[in-house]
Amino acid sequence: MTLETIIVGIVVGFAGGWLVRRWLAAARRRKEGGCAGDCGCAAKIQPKK
Amino acid sequence: MSATEPSLTVALVGNPNTGKSTLFNALTGLRQRVGNYPGVTVARKSGQCDCGNGTKVELIDLPGLYSLSAASPDEQVVIDALSGHLAADHRPDAVVVVVDATNLLRNLFLASQLSELALPVVLVLNQADVAAEQGLKIDTELLSRRLGGVPVVLTSAWKGEGIAGVRRAIGEALVQRVRMPAVEWPALVEEAMADVAAGVAADIGRAPGRADVERLLFDSTTSVGQRLGWAAPRRDAVIRAARDKVRRAGYNPLAAEPLIHYERLRKLLEGVVQGGGNRTGGSAAVDQVLLHRVLGPMVFAGIMLGMFASVFWLAKFPMQWISGGVDWLKAVVAPSLDSMPMLQSLVTDGMIGGVGAFLAFLPQILILFLFVSILEDSGYMARAAFIMDRLFSWCGLNGKSFVPMLSGFACAIPGILSTRTIEDPKARLATAFAVPFMSCSARFPIYALMCAAFILPKYGAGWESVVMVGMHCVGLLFAVPTAFVLTRFVLKVKPQPFVLELPRYQMPKPRDVLWRMWQNAAEFVSKAGTVIFAITIIVWALSYFPRDPAVEQRIRANGDSVGAEVVAARVQAAYVEQSYMGRFGKAVQPIFDPCGFDWKITVGVLASFPAREVIVSTLGVTYSVGEGAKADSKHLQQVMFDAKWTEGPRVGTPIFSLAAVLALMVFFALCSQCGPTIATLAQETGGWKWAAISFVYMTALAWLMAVAVYQVVIRLT
Repeated sequence: MTLETIIVGIVVGFAGGWLVRRWLAAARRRKEGGCAGDCGCAAKIQPKK
Repeated sequence: MSATEPSLTVALVGNPNTGKSTLFNALTGLRQRVGNYPGVTVARKSGQCDCGNGTKVELIDLPGLYSLSAASPDEQVVIDALSGHLAADHRPDAVVVVVDATNLLRNLFLASQLSELALPVVLVLNQADVAAEQGLKIDTELLSRRLGGVPVVLTSAWKGEGIAGVRRAIGEALVQRVRMPAVEWPALVEEAMADVAAGVAADIGRAPGRADVERLLFDSTTSVGQRLGWAAPRRDAVIRAARDKVRRAGYNPLAAEPLIHYERLRKLLEGVVQGGGNRTGGSAAVDQVLLHRVLGPMVFAGIMLGMFASVFWLAKFPMQWISGGVDWLKAVVAPSLDSMPMLQSLVTDGMIGGVGAFLAFLPQILILFLFVSILEDSGYMARAAFIMDRLFSWCGLNGKSFVPMLSGFACAIPGILSTRTIEDPKARLATAFAVPFMSCSARFPIYALMCAAFILPKYGAGWESVVMVGMHCVGLLFAVPTAFVLTRFVLKVKPQPFVLELPRYQMPKPRDVLWRMWQNAAEFVSKAGTVIFAITIIVWALSYFPRDPAVEQRIRANGDSVGAEVVAARVQAAYVEQSYMGRFGKAVQPIFDPCGFDWKITVGVLASFPAREVIVSTLGVTYSVGEGAKADSKHLQQVMFDAKWTEGPRVGTPIFSLAAVLALMVFFALCSQCGPTIATLAQETGGWKWAAISFVYMTALAWLMAVAVYQVVIRLT
């Protein structure tokens, strides 16, 4: 395995991992009643039960 | 809560479009979105406000409402916040009531109702500059005295005048705790309220608040009984008997509250407001034209056409500079990676090519939002809502659906969220379903790319603008019949009257316009540097690997008769075709073949389902890989312009024919390609059913219309 392959592997792996982590975080935010968008506004407007 | 966070909370309330968010921004130093039309704020937003005497409070900006009788979800947010029923919030320590200084009588109705919440109040008479222009003189000291010492401050939040006075008044209100004086109800009405309070106490075991009693007695659709756990039929019997008493007092029970409040307010305002009379002059004359049955829609269409033509014209040179910069960067970086061709391709074709193709549209996005901000802040967009009401009322919606639809032109997510201003749940659902059809700014880059690459060179700038406006109308053309079928036959929505308070015309504030442009530019660039960058790398990897040396050996063995450059190009093309992306694209391409899409476009379409703007960077990568990282590499537009079918019945003909270009744009105009929008739809409709229906319906419709457009245009050209 060459240095080039290792660098490319790290870059591609990092990009894929970052995307998965981001989507999981967005799903968790939605589950907690936050904004469903990716805007990060964290608006919570659920009335108290 | 951390030690640095304020423990006191102050709520900002008032009628829609009185400048609450502008005042909120002035008091907190934040940049909350403001707009010169009702319904911009649909959820609570908070920030820290310094009251000047060392006291810091958490200021909450709430959606506008006309009274405490909540009809829509955004109004319910206000009432829940004021009564301490909003999750994670306690009851505010004071309330700042923002009223329009040019219309005190109507605006003070809400302030008068707030007396029943027994909260310290600061009364802010905003838009003082407009009141002065209209010749109105307001005696704030007299008004304050008549309100039992409630601080009254005259401001022009838009100009930043009177803000220090509001800070001081909030600080004083928290110490002195002066409340709005209670209403003196007629004796029989007072008795009726006592009966309701006694009925609640007897049935649930605790006395209700005064505000809850008023809602139970005066509102026919209140949910207070449900919240208190006071169940029918006993509840209905008590309320019926109490309303009979109100009738005996000479009032219709459902109209008694405003009648009594306004009677009180008229007396209260005697001698407080003087002058006026020149209220409507200029605005009315302009509205004669802009709201005219025939001229109004024509002016609207003209403004839209002019806006898109200007966007193209003004953005042309900055776009060329960005594309030139991207090419220069590729040329500078490529030679240093000559010894590592794989890494060279990743950096130049993937990272720089993909992100650069996306970033080239930044000038158009900036200029588009410059025009949108000017139209909104000037007050024209509310007039556009009025014009569109005729169209919307035909399909069972009303003008209130216009604000969500308008927001949808920037992004569907705030559009769907702003359907909370619509009272009827069925009309709200129908509007939320129609909003994703609006042509959001994420669709803009693909339209712009197709128009610049294929429409402009062949048909000229005029047709480029027409196609652009047309693409923005395609969504609306399908949203209207969709809403018609949904409201008439599926949801059976009852027609709703549309009442819209038209804001006065005003000169847009350069700072606000520039801030809006900056926000959108920052979001666009941030997306390019994060999500688009990461997706671009993945797309590059999928279109680069696997690299079987046998592919190259086979082509070189058969390529003796042609030049080295041709052989190199064939090798690159063969590698892309046998990559994971190439294999996948070729496997799925037959589905999109009737739309005229080759496997590379198919890959772009599929990669765009999480976020539609990914198409540009994906095309940037798939059409760059194979071009190599040569210093003289052609712009994406030129590469696409030259691309030809290499197999099948269309071999040798351009892939991007007029038919395919129009079909691709129509597909993107109608397809549901945005993960966050689908999730927002699910959240706002209370489940995944409507989100799933929306996704399947829009995607199937997009495919059908793309096929129809391609098949018709290909036969005509």
